[in-house]
Amino acid sequence: MTELNQTDLQTLVTGNKRAWDTFVGAAAPLINAVVRRTMASYRLGEDDVMDAAQDVFVRLCASDFRLLRTYDPARASLSTWLAVVARSAAVDHLRRRRQATEPLDDVPEAVLGVEDKHVEKLKIPQGLLTERQTLILKCLYDEERDVAEVAVLLKIDAQTVRSTHHKALLRLRAHFGDEPP
Amino acid sequence: MGTERKSRTDKELWRSLAAERAVAPAAVSDLDFAAWLEGRLSEAATARIEAAVAADPELRRAALDLTDILGKPLPVPPARLAVRAQALIGFDAERETGRAGGWLGRLFPSGPLFALQRAAMIAMVIVVAGAGFVMGGGLGDSFAQQRYGSDAQSTARSTATTSSELSDLFVVSDGI
Repeated sequence: MTELNQTDLQTLVTGNKRAWDTFVGAAAPLINAVVRRTMASYRLGEDDVMDAAQDVFVRLCASDFRLLRTYDPARASLSTWLAVVARSAAVDHLRRRRQATEPLDDVPEAVLGVEDKHVEKLKIPQGLLTERQTLILKCLYDEERDVAEVAVLLKIDAQTVRSTHHKALLRLRAHFGDEPP
Repeated sequence: MGTERKSRTDKELWRSLAAERAVAPAAVSDLDFAAWLEGRLSEAATARIEAAVAADPELRRAALDLTDILGKPLPVPPARLAVRAQALIGFDAERETGRAGGWLGRLFPSGPLFALQRAAMIAMVIVVAGAGFVMGGGLGDSFAQQRYGSDAQSTARSTATTSSELSDLFVVSDGI
């Protein structure tokens, strides 16, 4: 990752072959990991993963490195930005593939799952919870992630996640007249 | 409180509720999302991204997955992944870039070594062409051949005209 973040972008966007080869060598492990994780729940072959990874590199160098030129090192590290770009490219690849022809068996159940619209849900009024409280509750309950994962995501310690979660639930119970257990 | 203390009732309460939004969250650019993942945004910008991530399950999963990937050692990718990607930019592209430097760049796109090779090749072509020309007799012979050739042709042409005139005369006189 360090090698990737030390990429000489100015030389890279001139089309220098050696700079491109070095960049590919440094970026390949990250792009491979992101594409694999994104496509993990789909039963796709190795060729699909390779094609999606190749799509990422094609996007980066297409139209005289237009996408790569939009990257701003002052705002985020190259590795994080590249991971986001790789994820978007993999999702697009999956969408295109699904649009073409895909047997129903190849689509994961989670993708086909439809929320039961008949269950009447109580609306949480706007402003009752902060954006962070909503995000923490969604990560914990909807995504079923543990406190440690949410703490890493939000760059806060686990105790802060726990207390934010606690305060959010107190507010909800107070608003909807539900006594805490 | 943590995962181990997430009681069923907490979860049930949450699942029975739906967050209400007056306006749909704004689209998040790749660069903003990356900056948020690294915790580099201002408080206001962070709240905006967190609202978008809370509202969009796909963005939420992306955030959780990418945070996990970026925090761990990465597995070695298959060799063909890098080979295919490296082939996207060839030496031709590099040469194209070299040409951007005006007429000199167009003439010698790959530096002094390439210029030397090109000059040697041009010199060799001149030597071979010159040798061939001299062996063929040079300009003098060529002119002479052209000149005498045209004289002989005109003589032949005038002889043919005279003989046809004579035969016409005989034919006409025979007819009389």
